[in-house]
Amino acid sequence: MAASSGTAKRIEVDRFEEFLDRAAGEVFSTMVGVPCAPTEEAEDGDRGTISAVIGLAGRMSGSLVLHASSAAALRIAGRMTGIEPTELDAMVRDAMGEMCNMIAGAWKGHDPILASGCLLSTPTVVAGTSYELFSQRASIRIERRYRFEELMFTISVVCEFPE
Amino acid sequence: MSGMTVLIVDDSSVMRKIVERALRQAGLNLTRVVEAGSGREGLEALGRDRPDLIVSDINMPSMDGLEFLRQIQSQGLAQGVPVVMITTESGEEHVREALAAGAQGYIRKPFTPDQVRERVLPLLAPA
Repeated sequence: MAASSGTAKRIEVDRFEEFLDRAAGEVFSTMVGVPCAPTEEAEDGDRGTISAVIGLAGRMSGSLVLHASSAAALRIAGRMTGIEPTELDAMVRDAMGEMCNMIAGAWKGHDPILASGCLLSTPTVVAGTSYELFSQRASIRIERRYRFEELMFTISVVCEFPE
Repeated sequence: MSGMTVLIVDDSSVMRKIVERALRQAGLNLTRVVEAGSGREGLEALGRDRPDLIVSDINMPSMDGLEFLRQIQSQGLAQGVPVVMITTESGEEHVREALAAGAQGYIRKPFTPDQVRERVLPLLAPA
């Protein structure tokens, strides 16, 4: 029983990882104008200096987090808006929040049950690296790193296993 | 198409700019762009201006896009002005809810200018 439950969970995690790759690719190519692809490479330095968080509620509850270095966040915001930012200002935070929002929407949209049964919060953006996200009942943890141009970003999903 | 006024309602200033750019790339001749950061600000803007098109996000703090739509309907504001909702929510229920609340169109984020053109141009009366 435990083995079959573990297998089912692995299949579900694999499926959600595939959805995440597709969602990141779709949102990046459309809104940033460049492709991104999953990578196993380690990120230089800290995992992220700016993180955008979207809460998930309903059939699945938890959060999806987009982590990026300053350089990656500046590039993403610049490509989205056509304005080249030089610091992590309100515009960059706004752009990162919207990217996270769109990736979360596209990700859950690949699952017909979650598309309608899971709602998204408005984004919250956190600067710095000295924080950790906890979820009381989290049973799925996904972390995928992506490369675009010479930069990288990471997406984490921490959520309750859907019933 | 002659010059148009558009009201863009979104709590993200970045998305408001992206929507404006997409509308221009879709071929709309925008002479005036009025921005609002929430449904409440959108209602205030409608008290001052009558746009030719309203584009609104759904998921916003303060007053979300669906409540904004309902208020437009109940207060009789912007009668005859097409309203297009833009959102990340992809479920068909969300589309039905927006259309039931009075939206004439629905665009999912992320979107391309071609998608904006396909969804918005048919709603606009010929000049």
